[in-house]
Amino acid sequence: MGRVEDRNQSAWLLLPDGSRPEPRLRDQMRRFADDDEVDLVIVGCGAGGSTLLQRMARAGWKVVALDAGPFWEPETDWVSDEAGSHHLYWEEPRVIGGSDPVPLGSNNSGRGVGGSMVHYAGYTPRFHPSDFHTRSLDGVGADWPFAYEDLKPYYSDIENELPVAGEDWPWGDPHSYPQRPHPVSGNGELFMRGADAEGITAKVGPVAISNGRFGHRPHCIYRGFCLQGCKVNAKASPLITHIPDALDHGAEVRADSMVSSIEIDERTGRATGVHYIQDGRSRFQRARMVAIAGYSIETPRLLLNSTSKRFPDGLCNDFDQVGRYLMVQGAPQTAGRFESEVRMWKGPPPEVSTEDFYETDPSKPYKRGFSIQSVSPMPIAWAEHVMAQGHWGAALRHYMSDYVHWASYGALCEFLPQPDNRVTLAEETDRHGLRVAKFDYSQCDNDRQLLAAAQGVMERILTAAGASEVITIQRFAHLVGGARMADNERDGVVDGDGVTFAVPNLLITDGSVLPTQGSANPALTIMAVAARAADRLIRRKG
Amino acid sequence: MNQLPLDPADGGGRFPGFDVIAQSGHWDRATQSVVGSRLGLLPHVRFFTPEEEVVARALFDQILDQREEPRVPVFNMVDVRLAEQQTDGWHYESLPADAEAWRRSLRALSDDADARHGVGFADCAWEQQSAILDAVQKRGDDDWHGFPASRVWSLWTRYACTAFYSHPWAWNEIGFAGPAYPRGYKNMGVDRLEPFEVRDIRPHDDPARRDS
Ligand SMILES: Cc1cc2nc3c(=O)[nH]c(=O)nc-3n(C[C@H](O)[C@H](O)[C@H](O)COP(=O)(O)OP(=O)(O)OC[C@H]3O[C@@H](n4cnc5c(N)ncnc54)[C@H](O)[C@@H]3O)c2cc1C
Ligand code: SF4
Repeated sequence: MGRVEDRNQSAWLLLPDGSRPEPRLRDQMRRFADDDEVDLVIVGCGAGGSTLLQRMARAGWKVVALDAGPFWEPETDWVSDEAGSHHLYWEEPRVIGGSDPVPLGSNNSGRGVGGSMVHYAGYTPRFHPSDFHTRSLDGVGADWPFAYEDLKPYYSDIENELPVAGEDWPWGDPHSYPQRPHPVSGNGELFMRGADAEGITAKVGPVAISNGRFGHRPHCIYRGFCLQGCKVNAKASPLITHIPDALDHGAEVRADSMVSSIEIDERTGRATGVHYIQDGRSRFQRARMVAIAGYSIETPRLLLNSTSKRFPDGLCNDFDQVGRYLMVQGAPQTAGRFESEVRMWKGPPPEVSTEDFYETDPSKPYKRGFSIQSVSPMPIAWAEHVMAQGHWGAALRHYMSDYVHWASYGALCEFLPQPDNRVTLAEETDRHGLRVAKFDYSQCDNDRQLLAAAQGVMERILTAAGASEVITIQRFAHLVGGARMADNERDGVVDGDGVTFAVPNLLITDGSVLPTQGSANPALTIMAVAARAADRLIRRKG
Repeated sequence: MNQLPLDPADGGGRFPGFDVIAQSGHWDRATQSVVGSRLGLLPHVRFFTPEEEVVARALFDQILDQREEPRVPVFNMVDVRLAEQQTDGWHYESLPADAEAWRRSLRALSDDADARHGVGFADCAWEQQSAILDAVQKRGDDDWHGFPASRVWSLWTRYACTAFYSHPWAWNEIGFAGPAYPRGYKNMGVDRLEPFEVRDIRPHDDPARRDS
């Protein structure tokens, strides 16, 4: 594994004051022509896409990544403000349906170089070993084509690159983190106090927020705006953890380039490149291989929009698997009222977690479990909590005036993968005339039982910490799946290396490929799976 | 002017003298300009028609209990968002896209007022307006003029609250210090305040308790 800086120089490629990557990286970036046949073109520069880009550039591949959104300059493009951060999200229309539709909103995926990790909270737990074979173990969900042990070295690589700070982790495969845990705010303090009183183990971390200087990246200033993009460059996102090193090794990042379809040679059945739209113009990038990493909604949408004689129902969709088994985690948030001032918005929202309830408990009627973490809604998000209790008008204003007294925690419940929770194409089109994604979601019984159990535990923690009232809002988080890994083409879209069953030179390397989701936030796993796919690809070529 | 009119019995005046804008010298420039723009003159109305404007203004006053000037200009802020198609990036299958959903739901609200009181929504008395809205909210997932009432309610309140609670005057009312870059926070922990934060003078004023 070796030293991080020998594998990934990104943190050292920021200016010495940590304010931004060295300008030369973008100014002198290598630029391929559309008719250069690059070795690999990647669609999407988020968690999965950027990791793959950096690995392949280091291996000497000619590689370009296209992203629909901008190449961010945090100092000028991002603000320390909730409503002013809307432009970080994917704002093109999407339609939601099913019996339990999942509103996206400020929980929406990102758009631009760095992807959703630009505005993710920063929690980076590993999946548990059990997550890789829930079907054999618990009779629910699915088995992955590989085991935890196969991913373990990549977890530790990425944890060192981000880097991750946290206490020694007792759950799943016990491990420790490269950086020590951060100090906690009032919100985290009450979590620890309540959990302790209830005999629940709680730990600080794991967060991809640098505790101390890392390379040229500065220390966190505890300002709490992680979900609005970290202007400080303390919180990890590919924009600062993988893109600088990729550019330094000859990769190109082509921003503001929306890929509209993947081209297939009807004779050979191989991918030949991608059609994309830049500055209103339709263009085509030739490539020897193509990788898609556009997020669990846009990846299936792109496959379904890429029709041809060979694939009339959408690329890689011979067995009607594209878009299916999309998962969200049930993410109810429970808040409690304290006489003291908590001021939960101070400090990063991700602070403290417990995974005591992660695994199947044989004494319970449901399978699998949930984790609980501190969250700390800003005023607009907090107003949603209050409105969810039915308050409006004078009652809303009154509740909101009490904001300083509330602490808030969120659960991540492992909703099970189901075939009908899926992305299809809506009739509605975007400004390019491309059909937008329709995302249907319905919960199953197990899902609902987990929600109730998780809420109960959060109420226990808050009450034990001294809360006089508790309120809960139903939310959802973290979409994964939609083009899952499987052993064969009838059960999924890609194999364990991320290669599609239908097209031998087409990969998928984002959260879409996950067959199960555990109760962990997914970004670290998405990056580790992409890093593993890169490794396999490099070895295969050689 | 740094406080909105709000009766102490309804949660007003809990943070005396607290003024977020007084700290704006400590913010970065990009943030100063985004937050500052909410305090200046907003663009001309571009999205709503005059008929819709009358209904929408009354609706926002109700949702946020803004009965007198000075008000946070919620109507204008929502008009800017809709004119610029700054949606949330999704809509329910059971509702049209946001712009159309707004137009149709405002028309439906006028129809309700007309049916009940024979005048437009804005011309109903405050209590009559409240009662009309209360009835929409209470329908839950049941149909209201062709849409599930709860989805329409969510649309109205989401836009209204996003505008209101992005405004520094609303932050003053709730004790929230707003932007925090590049200064950050130094005093974290229960009951620990920064020198520029103001403590709640009525910590026992728990609205949850009062309701029950
Ligand atoms: C508010 C919020 C909080 C979160 N908190 C956490 C957390 O604490 N921990 C955690 O692990 N996860 C968290 N997540 C989830 C995490 O950010 C995502 O799961 C992860 O980033 C997904 O990675 P990805 O590679 O699948 O897609 P993304 O990172 O979203 O990258 C996809 C990229 O593809 C681009 N793209 C899409 N379609 C096209 C196209 N057709 N052409 C060109 N480009 C395209 C997009 O612009 C985007 O940049 C959070 C997410 C949100 C929204
Ligand atoms: S709290 Fe820390 S990590 Fe989060 S945005 Fe602020 S400086 Fe960045």
